[in-house]
Amino acid sequence: MTEQNQTGKSPVDQHILHLLNSSIDGEISATEQDELDRLLIASHEIRHLNDELRTVTRLLDEVQELDPPEYLQGSIERQVRLPVQGHTDSKKPGLWGSGWLSTNWLRTGFALAAGAVLTVGVYEMGSEPITARDSTSMVGTMANRGQLEQPGALLDSIQLDTAKLTGLVELRNKDDLFTLDLQLSSDEPTEVVINFADRGLEFDGVNGEQVSDDGVSLVDGSVHLASKGEQHYTVRLRRTSAAQQLAPLDVNFFASNDLILQAKLIISNP
Amino acid sequence: MNKDKDAALVKSCIQGDRRAMSQLVSQYQRPVFNAAYRILGNKDDAADATQTVFLKVFEHITDYDQKFKFFSWVYRIAINESLNQVKKRRAQESLDDSQASPWQGPAEELDSGRLCKKVQGALMLLNDEYRTVVVLKHMSGCSYQQISEILQLPEKTVKSRLYSARQLMKKTLKSDENLV
Repeated sequence: MTEQNQTGKSPVDQHILHLLNSSIDGEISATEQDELDRLLIASHEIRHLNDELRTVTRLLDEVQELDPPEYLQGSIERQVRLPVQGHTDSKKPGLWGSGWLSTNWLRTGFALAAGAVLTVGVYEMGSEPITARDSTSMVGTMANRGQLEQPGALLDSIQLDTAKLTGLVELRNKDDLFTLDLQLSSDEPTEVVINFADRGLEFDGVNGEQVSDDGVSLVDGSVHLASKGEQHYTVRLRRTSAAQQLAPLDVNFFASNDLILQAKLIISNP
Repeated sequence: MNKDKDAALVKSCIQGDRRAMSQLVSQYQRPVFNAAYRILGNKDDAADATQTVFLKVFEHITDYDQKFKFFSWVYRIAINESLNQVKKRRAQESLDDSQASPWQGPAEELDSGRLCKKVQGALMLLNDEYRTVVVLKHMSGCSYQQISEILQLPEKTVKSRLYSARQLMKKTLKSDENLV
C-alpha cells in the first residue's frame, strides 16, 4: 500500500493537503499561499479541513517535554569510554563501553546468572545482619575505623548530586583487593546496596563510623549499608577469579526507601 | 545547537576530554530522551534507548562526519535505536490490551495530563514511519530539511509522510471525544 492511498486521498486532495500543511508549517511559497487563499475563500470544506489540521498541529505542538530521569546523565557518563589517542584500538572500546550492556535482555541475563549464584551464596553467607564481631572474623580484617593505608589505583567513581543524597563513591584496586570508598550525605535514611555476586569477588570487610549491627549486612551477595546524615564507609572486596575482565559492580542508592540512582562501577584491570 | 561549538566539543572528545563529553550529553540527553519517549511511549524504555544512543555516539565519535550537523547525527542514531527497540518489543510481546493502549501504562500517568495522553495515544497508533516524522517535526522542532537529513529521505517523502500522519491523527482525535 502506498503512502498516498493509505489515507484514501485523491491526487487533487493531495495538492490541497500539500498547500494546507505547507502553510501550517510556514514552509509555503508566496504563489502557493495565494492559491491557498483563493481556495479557502471559495470552499467551506477546505476551510473546515484547514481548521482541523491546525488544531491537530496545535495539539502536537502543545505536548509538553518530559524531564529525563535524574540518574540518566550520570549513568551515561560513567559508561562512556572515550577513544584514547595513540591507541591502535581507539575505535574499539572495551566490552562495557559498547552499549550492549544496557539492553534489557542482557540485564535479564545478568539477573538470572546472578540469581543462580545467589542461590549458592545464600547458603554460604546467610542473610543476617553482620555484627562487628562477625565482620572481624570474615576474610581479612575489618572494623578498623580508619582509611586503608594504600587504597590503590582509581578505577571508577560515582558522583551523586541529587536532592536527597549527595556524595562520591570511588573504586580502587591494589593487587587482588578492590576498595570502595563511600562518602555520602543525606538528611533522610539511606541505603546503599553493592551487588558483587557472580563477579569473581568475595567480601573482605567494611570500615566506617556507621558500621553497626543494624546498619551493615550481607544479603544475597550484596553489601547493604544503611545510615543517615554524613557517612563514610570503606568496603573491601577481594578477587577470587583469575578472569581478566570482571563484570561491573551494581551499586543502588536509596533514600527513604526510594531508589535514587542505579549505577555501575567498572572493574578494569589496572 | 551551535554547529561550531558542537564540532569543537566533538574534537575534544576525540582527544579524550570527558568534560566535553559531559557537555554534549547534557545538551542532547533531553531532546533524545523526549524523541525516544514519543516513539516508544514508555519512560523506562526511553531512558534505556537514550543511554544506548550516547554509548553508540561516543563509541563511533571518531567516525562522525563533520559535514553533517552533530545533532542530525545524534538524532539519526536516536531514531534508529528507538525503532529497533520498538521492533524488539513487538517481537517479544504478543498483541494484547496493553499494547493496544501503550500510552496508558503507569509510567505515563506522570505525563502532563489527559490531553497529552490522548495525543500520545493517537501518536502510538501511527505506523513507525509516520510517528517518526511527527515526533521530529512537532516534538523536536525540526524543519522539513532537517528531518530529511536525519532520516536520509527526500524532502518530498518527509512531507508526504507528515501530511498523511496528520490526517490519520485528525481522524483518531476526532473520533476520540471530538478533540478536533
